[in-house]
Amino acid sequence: MKQIKFNRFSVPAGLAGVISAAWITSLAWLPAHADPPIAGTASTNSVAAAAPAATAVAASESHHLTGAELYSIHCNRCHPERYPTERTGAQWKTIMLHMQVRANIPVQQSKLILKYLQDNSGR
Amino acid sequence: MATKMQMKTNVIRYGVAATTGLFCLAQAGNASAEVSDADFNALKSAVQQLGEEVQSLRQTNQIETQTHQADLQQIQELRSKLAETQQTAVEAKQKSDAVAEVQSQPPERAPIDEATVNHNFMMLGDAEFQYDKSSGQNGTFLLADFAPIFVYRGGDNILYEAGFDTFLGNNAPSSAGASTSFQLSFAQLDYVVNDYVTFVAGDMLLPLGTYSERSAGWLNKFPDNPLAVDALIPGTGVGTQLRGAIPLGQSGQFINYSVYGVNGESSADGTGNARALDLGGNVGQLSNGGIASLNGSPSGGGRLGYFVPFKPHYDLEVGVSGMAGQWDNTLDMVQSHVWSAGVLDAALHLGPNFEANGEYILTRYGSGDQGEVTQQGLFVQAGYRLAGLNLELPAINNIELVARYDAVHDGLNPRVERYTAGFIYYITNTLLFEGDYEFLHSPDPTQVDHMVLQLSYGF
Ligand code: HEC
Repeated sequence: MKQIKFNRFSVPAGLAGVISAAWITSLAWLPAHADPPIAGTASTNSVAAAAPAATAVAASESHHLTGAELYSIHCNRCHPERYPTERTGAQWKTIMLHMQVRANIPVQQSKLILKYLQDNSGR
Repeated sequence: MATKMQMKTNVIRYGVAATTGLFCLAQAGNASAEVSDADFNALKSAVQQLGEEVQSLRQTNQIETQTHQADLQQIQELRSKLAETQQTAVEAKQKSDAVAEVQSQPPERAPIDEATVNHNFMMLGDAEFQYDKSSGQNGTFLLADFAPIFVYRGGDNILYEAGFDTFLGNNAPSSAGASTSFQLSFAQLDYVVNDYVTFVAGDMLLPLGTYSERSAGWLNKFPDNPLAVDALIPGTGVGTQLRGAIPLGQSGQFINYSVYGVNGESSADGTGNARALDLGGNVGQLSNGGIASLNGSPSGGGRLGYFVPFKPHYDLEVGVSGMAGQWDNTLDMVQSHVWSAGVLDAALHLGPNFEANGEYILTRYGSGDQGEVTQQGLFVQAGYRLAGLNLELPAINNIELVARYDAVHDGLNPRVERYTAGFIYYITNTLLFEGDYEFLHSPDPTQVDHMVLQLSYGF
């Protein structure tokens, strides 16, 4: 079986990692992206109740996904769904930051999901 | 009032009548006899006195009338004030009724006040209890793991997370009693620099594949890790990382990346012998108290992933990741050996009830005694929730059937294969009862078929 060779050319890989890290850091000074339009979240509350039950949403280019839709896209991918009522608004803020980093969820999406969770949270 | 007035008028009338009477009597007297001056004067002054009295009574009467008028006006004013007061009282009651009504309803959800939620500390994590029956062994209960995660959020962009694993093991056969092991499984600071970049530092979970970042008792569908994940790649590394996600269009797709530099692999005994490869030991603090990496160059790595949702619960994520660096503690770069790994990962959801995911792992490293060692491993697993069958049976919707195939060939020992079949019963969304049977194909006599029952809880 022919093996992929990772050997010698990867000797300075540590360096390469650090260099690419430095390059990406330069991106860090990009301005933070503006918040997505709120229009997309207008229907959040009405969709909320139905959200866990797979609100079939055509992922079309023109449609901005709402917090409720993003919640049902992401929040039971890696584990059983965690319901908004399980936590308070302040706790969701912490958990969403945890999930955003852990699951690599784009920041704009994460903000919409957080809003959905807080609007429907337990107290 | 009216009677009082009448009385006064009568008094005046009688007064006048009496005076007139007296006057007539006097005249009658005159007719018969001449009236003396003294008598006339006396009579005159009496009449004058009466006139004055009448005058003063008139004035008093006028004053009384005015007073009466003023009284009436005052009464009128008081009446209207009373009406006003009554109106106010009614309004106040209405208001208080409205308030009571609002208060009896759940209060309107106020926007989160930043000041009160600027910092937040939480203890999260999971715990597992198992019953294990290996073939040829006594079945036993065990506390498989208690794994708290402490999470502290400072403001909007900073999160500190540290996870621990606590196990309980007995000291048999060498001695009595049991001992607890307490391990740090990761401790990292996450700083969200902007929408596209998060900086991470510490003892980090490594995105080499996705398994180690996405495992915890209540989210694993099996009670143990894939063999290859445990044997071939490090789960954590001490160093720094940049990671983030970049959305593609409005449909929810995104790519995500991570690049990191860590201390990397090392040699368990300082030699370059193949069996000395140590995936997790190089944490920077030496056993003699010194602070140094065990080898001269750090390791670097990264992952690139692509996530595409077709609609909620239908999605695919694929990723490619790799890591490489010197491992054998040699300062001589020419003599040193390199360890490297490449991982392909994929996860697929087809509806809320079907999930499949897997990873292929390939690692290679040079050694002093065995030359190039090539290692390979694989796992694929799938789960199907019986809720998808739409059966009208009570417990059935909480059951998920799971199956896994995994294998590892570490290049030093014979290949091991394992087939696992089982179920998960979701008591709640975070309290899971699992049962699995594992069929092992291994030349190692300690690796035998076994059955595991597990209760796992996520909090
Ligand atoms: C890419 C995988 C992934 C996705 C997507 C994901 N989670 Fe998680 N989630 C995890 C992992 C892994 C843990 C366990 C963390 C640990 O134990 O280290 C977790 C834990 C949790 C917990 C327990 C508390 C905690 O923070 O550990 C909650 C609540 C949670 N997730 C909610 C959510 C919500 C809400 C979403 C939707 C935005 C979500 N998760 C999406 C992987 C994921």
